[in-house]
Amino acid sequence: MSRLLPVIRVQLVGWPNTLGFPWLLLTLIFGVNYAIFLAIGDVDDGPKTGAIASIYIVMFVAAINSITQLLPFTMALSVIRRTFYLAASLLLLAESAVFGTALYLFALLEDATGGWGLGLEFFGLGFLDQDNPLLQILVYTVPFIALGFLGIFIAVYYKRFGMTGMYLLVICKLLVLAALALLATWLDLWSGIGQWLGDQPTAAWLAGWPALLAALLAGAGYATIRRVTP
Amino acid sequence: MSTVVSAQGITKRFRDVTALDQISFSLAENKIHGLLGRNGAGKTTLMQIMTGQGFATSGNMTIFGQSPYENETVMARVCFIKESQTYPQHFKVRHALESARLLFPDWDEEFAQALLADFRLPLGRHIRKLSRGMHSMLGIIIGLASRAPLTLFDEPYLGLDAVARHLFYDHLLTDYAEHPRTVVLSTHLIDEVGELIEHVLLLDQGRVLLDTTAEALRGQVVTVAGPATAVDEFAANNEELHRERLGRYARATLRGTFGPSERAQAKGLGLDIEAVSLQDIVIRLTTSQAKTGGTTSGSAASTPKETVR
Repeated sequence: MSRLLPVIRVQLVGWPNTLGFPWLLLTLIFGVNYAIFLAIGDVDDGPKTGAIASIYIVMFVAAINSITQLLPFTMALSVIRRTFYLAASLLLLAESAVFGTALYLFALLEDATGGWGLGLEFFGLGFLDQDNPLLQILVYTVPFIALGFLGIFIAVYYKRFGMTGMYLLVICKLLVLAALALLATWLDLWSGIGQWLGDQPTAAWLAGWPALLAALLAGAGYATIRRVTP
Repeated sequence: MSTVVSAQGITKRFRDVTALDQISFSLAENKIHGLLGRNGAGKTTLMQIMTGQGFATSGNMTIFGQSPYENETVMARVCFIKESQTYPQHFKVRHALESARLLFPDWDEEFAQALLADFRLPLGRHIRKLSRGMHSMLGIIIGLASRAPLTLFDEPYLGLDAVARHLFYDHLLTDYAEHPRTVVLSTHLIDEVGELIEHVLLLDQGRVLLDTTAEALRGQVVTVAGPATAVDEFAANNEELHRERLGRYARATLRGTFGPSERAQAKGLGLDIEAVSLQDIVIRLTTSQAKTGGTTSGSAASTPKETVR
């Protein structure tokens, strides 16, 4: 693992293009939203926007790119798969923590400025609010991690099995979901499931279950990358 | 002389195609090896397996005495430059060099800068905007400046002009003399590298056709020219690779041992013996092989085909 740090640094080469871009985009989107609601004027109950989702989507795409572009290049410089995967995973965790904390701080700032003077809810959407600051940061951070590992897994799986494998994976997933749905209908479980889902707190939706998903995807991605050819 | 690369019975099958068929060889330390062969001979596949990037269907490959697959100690000493290398979309030339500097323990930044100036490669340009030749130069600079104890070049100079190609040969030779290492050079421009190569590994249809020093090979293959009857007599003791006729005169390319006594015999018969260039040797060997359909290891070739069926 002596090359772990260099490999992480290689992933940060040209960082304004990879790390800077999501924030530039978010700033622009924020600017546009702010301008629009400033122009509209009074909105009952304060304006809300879901534009914050854009940075999560950008993160997902960036994770896919890190595999399709950086993996072949890094392996060409004699880096083994294990080191690359570990470096990509650690970088994803660090980035997610930084991004999540930043979003939390922006939400605090939003609250303190009365929604940027407009009652605007851009970062701190009502349903996201948690009482515990640490939990609040997790609610912002964990979805980054889950989406990141989802992107990594999809890209690695594609590199390993190609388009045919991709179709098979989607078909199998649909079949399993359909079977589960049939089973639930047969056993008359739907009302119970609905109630259970409704009882889950926001923190479980945005931090708990995504964390489990991320762990599963991270493991699956590692198992798949072992036999990838660049 | 220690062995850097050792391959035993390497076979690679893609569905019903046998790309490599029971390949065994070893490469000695601190020599320049030419990995030669026609398109589709299996050169790239072999180098991918050598660097742990591809997987052999069967067989055993060791680099510096260990398996290269997922082996960081071994791979830190290897640099594999291939013609079709892709770089991340947003990378500029300097980003690629920065990455290489971070990853190769023996990287020589000064040398890289000197090469950059010699090849006139602009540091700030996006790699995806480089011309084909400049793209190749970038790979060559990384390959040379990495000073990896085992450096492999797979068709490194697609699109390079003659000047740049000779710059590459010159730098390779000079730097190799100062910092000896094991080089594997796969190329189609055999005549150009004929002087560089010390050891020849010739692949044809997934099999090793030749595994010998360049010097021994040059002594093994000659062209004799003279009266057809005399050529016939002389050729009888040797393997005939090629023949041209012009009336009663003939020119034959022969493979065998040509010591002083053989040369004296040829002189006695009134024949001229000429040396054959490495490129002609390769052409003669691979085309005569194609005509006879692979005589050397026919039995080895038929076994895997049967299992595929």
